[in-house]
Amino acid sequence: MSHFLATDLEIDSAMTLNQVKVGCDVKIRVLSGPGCERLRDLGFCEQLQVRKLAGGRNLICSICGTRMAISRELAEQVLVSPIG
Amino acid sequence: MNQASAPPSTIALIGNPNAGKTTLFNALTGANQRVGNYAGVTVEIKSGETYTPHGHKLRVWDLPGCYSLRANSPDEKIALDALTGAIPGESKPDLVVCVVDASNLERHLQLALQVLEIGIPCILALNMVDVAERAGLRLDPAKLSEELGIPVVPMQANAKRGIIELKQALRFPFPTAAEPRWIDSSENPAASRRALIIRLCDLAARRPDSHQQTRSDQIDAILLHPVYGWIALLGIFFTLFWAIFSFAQIPMGWIESGQRSFAAWINTTMSEGDFRSLVVDGVIGGVGGVLTFLPQIGLLFFFIGLLESSGYMARAAYLMDSVMAKVGLSGKAFLPLFSSYACAIPGIMATRTIDSAKERLVTIFIAPWMSCSARLPVYFLIVPLLLHEHEGTWKQALVLFGIYALGTSAAFLVAKLLRGRLGKDSSPGHFLLELPPYRKPQWNYIFRHVFERSFSFVKKAGTLILGLSILLWALSTYPKSATGDAADALTHSAMGRIGAIIEPAVKPLGFDGRIGTAILTSFAAREVFVSSMAILYRVEETHDPEATRKLLRDRLASASWPDGRRIFTPLSLVSLLVFFIYAMQCLPTTAVVARESGSWKWALGQFLFMTGFAYAAALVIFQVGKLIGY
Ligand SMILES: Nc1nc2c(ncn2[C@@H]2O[C@H](COP(=O)(O)OP(=O)(O)OP(=O)(O)O)[C@@H](O)[C@H]2O)c(=O)[nH]1
Ligand SMILES: [Mg+2]
Repeated sequence: MSHFLATDLEIDSAMTLNQVKVGCDVKIRVLSGPGCERLRDLGFCEQLQVRKLAGGRNLICSICGTRMAISRELAEQVLVSPIG
Repeated sequence: MNQASAPPSTIALIGNPNAGKTTLFNALTGANQRVGNYAGVTVEIKSGETYTPHGHKLRVWDLPGCYSLRANSPDEKIALDALTGAIPGESKPDLVVCVVDASNLERHLQLALQVLEIGIPCILALNMVDVAERAGLRLDPAKLSEELGIPVVPMQANAKRGIIELKQALRFPFPTAAEPRWIDSSENPAASRRALIIRLCDLAARRPDSHQQTRSDQIDAILLHPVYGWIALLGIFFTLFWAIFSFAQIPMGWIESGQRSFAAWINTTMSEGDFRSLVVDGVIGGVGGVLTFLPQIGLLFFFIGLLESSGYMARAAYLMDSVMAKVGLSGKAFLPLFSSYACAIPGIMATRTIDSAKERLVTIFIAPWMSCSARLPVYFLIVPLLLHEHEGTWKQALVLFGIYALGTSAAFLVAKLLRGRLGKDSSPGHFLLELPPYRKPQWNYIFRHVFERSFSFVKKAGTLILGLSILLWALSTYPKSATGDAADALTHSAMGRIGAIIEPAVKPLGFDGRIGTAILTSFAAREVFVSSMAILYRVEETHDPEATRKLLRDRLASASWPDGRRIFTPLSLVSLLVFFIYAMQCLPTTAVVARESGSWKWALGQFLFMTGFAYAAALVIFQVGKLIGY
């Protein structure tokens, strides 16, 4: 029971990658949505650190040293939280 | 030692896109398969041979890159099929070399673990150690090997470092399949993989914590900028056209003067007669006329090779995504379309990287409207006629730029209409693109590639174009007219009669029977148009040796209708250009479209639509232009 509460809280305080400011480092918390399998294949996995490099129509983020361009719809499915 | 008689074992190179598999394949086999710095260069299985240090022959497969074994797009499906033995007539590879980017193990190891899980013997090629070192990563191949239970070979494929060590690891007997110890039946396999990868990277690939601002980031700040990025994109493409025009002038001049002196020499050494006419008008005029454009074609392949290997292509695709979205395509479709500027066939093959089936079909449909290199000789013949002799090359470049823009924008319009009719995808596709770091081009690959493409152009000139030139020369020479008057000769010949039949069909477009005939022959291959024109417009006064040495361009400029009007007015030239921009005149492309789309109807429909459109567009331009008073 406490386990569920903890993750619920985490999701509540999390924001999507779209809401992150450009230049910020964040940690991926949860992936949810139809594109999450594809995102995992590309390396967007829970616990990894991402930096958002550019916003707009498609975002650019740097993950493990690779720059990836992903669409807003996909970024919406990545829930992140600030580091620290 | 009985290995020698048995069929060679097969090893397969697998890995994420852009990990350097093809570079490694080329280093192992001595081949020159396509290499480029963006994801999705290889889209089919390439096979080659290599030898172990003991002299055993091995068959090597280069597979398309894939992010996982779930086969999201047709190219990933091919890699998966090859790995699981689902390719008809082939069995599973005996050994898999999993190529990973050492500077990106967190991402690349995911696929490696999935490959290990299906139970094939595997070697890990830890490629791009140079990049990893520069990024400050501390790699520990021995530790990795111990943890995974497979041989790990650090290497730098583009400098051929580590190739010998890899071959050592390919010795018989092959290592047995490693036990996927990380799989725990109680847990989700993806989660256990994740846990292992995090542990491995901690142990064997320590990454300095801070995010570093790399050179690529600095370049991207400009090239991906919403304003400067577009200026750079247009600037790069315009420079490309301008460079093709101006650099090609020099070798073109050599080829032309070489040809002229050769024709003059033949004229003086051979006695006048049909055979001399065949050599001078048919062979030198026809084949030589096409060969003049070799420098442009070589340069086009060179520049496209440069762009592809620098890493800029992925940036251009990122920028273009917003434009492509307006017509229902995505930035992903930009890469195959750009490839089509060199040749539509690899372009259409490259659509295999597009995961949405409908978007892929539409991309295949419009790809032939990206002006390919075979159209260059035609454009280069017509554009200088359209402008004055001494007009600056930048103006010619501008016209050429316009030609490409015309083809491309019409293609986008068609894409929009077609995309609307095909309807929405069942599952929404998403734009996802890796932006690789900018890299130095592999010069040896580029030069070999340019050489191969130029050679195949020369070969075509020496076979197909030569054959058609001789045929056309014969048709336009026989039967001979009784009068001996040169102008009569053509009208009297078989060709003249064919031309007379064709003329009514092409006259509304502003062409005479000879152009019509040349267009007809260009359905064999577009370049043939130039050689056909050279033969059909050969100088009528053959007794004047100076005249035969005139350039085709000058001869065309003075060609006239029977009533004395010029044939090549600006209007008819534009109409001719438009026809060639849109006409679908490449049988091999039609065959590839049929195979890739899985439907002969699609290919046939494309052929009829494009050629019909070309005819209609040229007709409208000529008729409307005439009405307006051009
Ligand atoms: N610095 C460095 N670059 C490399 C190395 N190996 C390959 N490259 C470069 O990496 C890029 C990709 O190489 P490819 O061989 O085309 O990669 P691939 O894995 O075949 O890619 P796909 O066919 O798209 O799956 C090219 O620009 C190569 O020059 C290496 O060891 N070090
Ligand atoms: Mg490749």
